[in-house]
Amino acid sequence: MIVGLDRADDAGVYKITDDIALIQTVDFFTPIVDDPYWFGQIAAANALSDVYAMGGVPKTAMNLVAFPIKTMPVSVLREIIRGGIDKLKEAGVVLIGGHSIEDNELKYGLSITGLIHPDRILTKHNMKPGDKLILTKPLGTGIINTAIKGGLAPDDVIEKVTRQMAMLNKNAAEIMSAFPVHACTDITGFGFLGHLAEMIWGSNMGAVIQREDIPVIPEAIEFASMGFVPGGAYKNREFRESMVQFSEEIDPVTRDILFDPQTSGGLLIALPPSHADELLSRLRQNSMDTAAIVGYINTGKKGMIHVK
Amino acid sequence: MDGDNQMKTIDARGLACPTPVLQTKAMIDKEDPEMIQITVDNEAARQNVVRFLEFRKFQTTVTTEGNDIKIVGKRGPGTAGQQEADMAGTDRNSSQILVMISSDRMGHGDDDLGQKLMKSFISTLKEMGNELWRIVCVNSGVKLAIEGAESLPHLKELEEKGVSILVCGTCLTHFNLLEKKQVGETTNMLDIITSLQVADHVINL
Repeated sequence: MIVGLDRADDAGVYKITDDIALIQTVDFFTPIVDDPYWFGQIAAANALSDVYAMGGVPKTAMNLVAFPIKTMPVSVLREIIRGGIDKLKEAGVVLIGGHSIEDNELKYGLSITGLIHPDRILTKHNMKPGDKLILTKPLGTGIINTAIKGGLAPDDVIEKVTRQMAMLNKNAAEIMSAFPVHACTDITGFGFLGHLAEMIWGSNMGAVIQREDIPVIPEAIEFASMGFVPGGAYKNREFRESMVQFSEEIDPVTRDILFDPQTSGGLLIALPPSHADELLSRLRQNSMDTAAIVGYINTGKKGMIHVK
Repeated sequence: MDGDNQMKTIDARGLACPTPVLQTKAMIDKEDPEMIQITVDNEAARQNVVRFLEFRKFQTTVTTEGNDIKIVGKRGPGTAGQQEADMAGTDRNSSQILVMISSDRMGHGDDDLGQKLMKSFISTLKEMGNELWRIVCVNSGVKLAIEGAESLPHLKELEEKGVSILVCGTCLTHFNLLEKKQVGETTNMLDIITSLQVADHVINL
């Protein structure tokens, strides 16, 4: 075993030969959008993301389904599975099985197995002083999803965010594989600062984040100002507050966005500054228009993130 | 609006976000209260509800009793009824219609018919939508705003939707109905003239 439960990481890695290691992950959740086909796609993109974040190539998948068969038409389930399978096809992954149970609450997700070279595993814990941090998707999906639940998000915003959540991190992972990346993770439930906190903690480093460089879905600012911040953002903030120093001018809404739990969020990539601009321009050329260099790693205050 | 007795309360304890905010929003949309109190029991709900109230231009105060967090919102000056327009991004000021009602019946000829027409007019007035800004009742028009009047429920409904209703004080006094007025603000000739001046369109009845 190379990566296991002892160090929190995106997926587990088990070495088979000197050249091949198995990378495995599982993720499932309750619906976040009304459309079952898109929910299936998002669940698959989210599950695949952990493999991409570690530099692996996903190969096979198994469905996990909990479905209220007595109260919900089976066509809903079919659409969810269809969404999942379409996303797997896009990723070049084969569905080889699965398991379903009856449950009052609908849940869907996947277990993904991939391959990775044992020497090329990207963990969260190998950042070096001076590394630049690149974020590939804008923040704010948790807030928008809360506004969707509240019936306040207009259709065009729902569509935009749904597409973003269903977007695979495959392209980003393939592009970054040509660069000397030190560490990577995908931004999910702990929010941007929560995941960055894990990274600097594991690497024994500090980080400086430039607020104005962080890509944010514009409507998330509006909805957060109206009070549509998910409970998870507050939990994330409470949990990691001691590791974050905000400059005074950072307003409360921005702080919430930085801790907003993301569904199928982007990759957060740490790499030497000499390669950062080139990786960024490659990402932007490949339809990740909002990707940005959001900060850098230092050794000034170990275990602290300074948001300026 | 006679505001101070309009305190609405919500118990949102034990509820996860965004439910407390949604309940607050529903109450404000439905009742348009001057004051609102929401009780929550977690920090996330507190911050979200306070933020929502401030977004809707309420002044907020927060007190803590044990695990309970009480949030009181008081409507700031000059915001009654405008929040929905702000929310929808519509420009409420694009056209302000004032309806001047100077009789308790519509038109001349048959008085019974005139009363029926007026009742129908008031109950259908809401179809003007957001552009209906203010109703001014003068002379026998004030009789539509007193207790027992057939049009009273419809005028109240309009007022709840944010339409401003002014009722002439001199006229109420003349008919000895000052104590019986049930809707709108008692007003004077200066307010009426200012309203006519500010309105984009005036409809005279």
